[in-house]
Amino acid sequence: MGLNAGYILKRVGFALVTLYVAITVNFLLPRLMGGDIADTIASEMALGSPEVAAALREQFGLDNTNLFYQYKQYLVQLFQGNMGVSYVNYPAPVTEVMLSALPWTLGTVLIATILSYGIGWMIGIKGAWKSGSLFDNISLFVSFFLNSVPYFWIGIIMIMIFSFHLDLFPLGKAIPHDFDSLSFMGKITTIIHHAALPVISMIIASLAGHILVLRNNLIRVLSEDYMLLAKAKGLSNRRRKYTYGARNALLPSFTGLMITLGHVIGGALTMEIVFSYPGVGLVTFNAILNHDFPLIQGAFLFIAISVIIANLIADLMYPIIDPRVALQ
Amino acid sequence: MKKLKSILAYLWELIPGTKGVLGLAIIFCFIVIAIFGSYIAPYEKNYIAFEAWLSPSFTHWLGTDSYGQDILSQMIYGTQTSLLVAIVAGSITTCIGVLVGIVAGYKGGWIGEGLMRIVDLFLIIPTLALMIILASFLPSMGVTNTILIIGLLSWLYMARSIRSQTMSERESGYVEAARMAGMGDLEIMFREIMPNIIPVILANLVLVTTQAVLAEAGLSFLGLGDPSAVSWGTILSLAHANNAVLFNAWWWILPPGLAIACLCFGFILVGNGILDRFQANRGNAAL
Repeated sequence: MGLNAGYILKRVGFALVTLYVAITVNFLLPRLMGGDIADTIASEMALGSPEVAAALREQFGLDNTNLFYQYKQYLVQLFQGNMGVSYVNYPAPVTEVMLSALPWTLGTVLIATILSYGIGWMIGIKGAWKSGSLFDNISLFVSFFLNSVPYFWIGIIMIMIFSFHLDLFPLGKAIPHDFDSLSFMGKITTIIHHAALPVISMIIASLAGHILVLRNNLIRVLSEDYMLLAKAKGLSNRRRKYTYGARNALLPSFTGLMITLGHVIGGALTMEIVFSYPGVGLVTFNAILNHDFPLIQGAFLFIAISVIIANLIADLMYPIIDPRVALQ
Repeated sequence: MKKLKSILAYLWELIPGTKGVLGLAIIFCFIVIAIFGSYIAPYEKNYIAFEAWLSPSFTHWLGTDSYGQDILSQMIYGTQTSLLVAIVAGSITTCIGVLVGIVAGYKGGWIGEGLMRIVDLFLIIPTLALMIILASFLPSMGVTNTILIIGLLSWLYMARSIRSQTMSERESGYVEAARMAGMGDLEIMFREIMPNIIPVILANLVLVTTQAVLAEAGLSFLGLGDPSAVSWGTILSLAHANNAVLFNAWWWILPPGLAIACLCFGFILVGNGILDRFQANRGNAAL
């Protein structure tokens, strides 16, 4: 029951193909954009010196113009974990910069996604159970509105209210200056204190999608015959609502959860800039400002890999929640 | 002329209910502001000789920013860019999404399956990350490039939605009849099926337009917008870059965000109205 080998192989295979596509996109896109990156950088940093351009070309593996040769070099380097050297953080390699930024982003994004899913779930159930009620209408309109607002704007507003005016949370950053001198418990408290506002902002920003999906699913489930049967059998409200209704409505929304994860990561990129939170978003932002091309590419790859792995985990968990999936 | 009138009447039919009308009214307001922007705006575009950080007053309804620009004027000019990006990028997205969706849904087989596998692959990779890498490697970012990047990368989800709707249409009697009458695949797809799923297409159109507004704001905020253009996204990005929060300049932060929110809210209301009506008529519509 549950996990069968065929299903697992298929999902892992799909993840690997996606990974390969992401890697290839990462290789091809900058080259398709035209223009010589080496020349661009050389003109920005070294007055267009041909020597610098040539050196850069060699560093990027652009000295041999054969695309297939470049591609092979790129793949070989990648498998050795080498994504080049970041200019901004010279001489730190891209992999190192990204690995130190990734935990901050993953931590906040995952916690925010799970909490927002849970809260959205409860509001959605409540709304759908009495659809047309005042609560349902308000939650619907608020959801539409929240869906219309950029993530980072919610972040700015939160900072303005809770950090600047009420002084309840720090204005940004993930850890204070005296972090190293703190005790273990002190470190944890301060990390939570700093992460609270970004996480709450992300929850608010991503809540609407979950409410809408769950509400619509549950309304559909509630019109099923088995719901009527359950009522006729005299089952309690509570039992019908959660074990019959919500459980069945949950299943289709689970795939939606993974699609929103991509959204949330996109939102987190801008959210981190607002909070000066040292994750992938802030690194990417600084890389864009400084035309740090290897770092931009590295950021893309790290984002893609994290989302692909998260998706794979979700795919593998899915049959446990809904055994029918693996049988198809 | 008569035909145009009947088309307009048909479109009006599609946008029902208080929600839809309210949404349309909101969008209409923004379009008027965009078209007559240069007449409405109290001051010239990018005029920077006012005192900086003025709070709202009768001379500057929304105050001034750190450069001494009148924020209300910048907001009005920003409406033009933001709406332009939204509408053109939204249309590009819709064209690709409808094309891929209908072909994949109608053809089925290896073409349909293949197209959808590709869509599934790219759906996993966050769109904003793709946009970032494209935008940052372009030699320069103008409004055209912003539109193209958003338009060409946002159609994936829409293609899925159109495909599933096409697949359920494919089984209907009228498609069978058209096939019997000897119509070609192209004709069936675009003259028979497409008109029947217009509501779903419209609902998707307004959703992708919303996404385009938000994507433009996000890209501008990341420093990947057109540096010379004024849009709601660039106003917000400048406000953040100049520490508007620390100067307590809420008049610089609230308006652009609220404008984005109101416009998108209008679009979502219209889309929802269309979909409600379609679902009531058909009993099935997946978005």
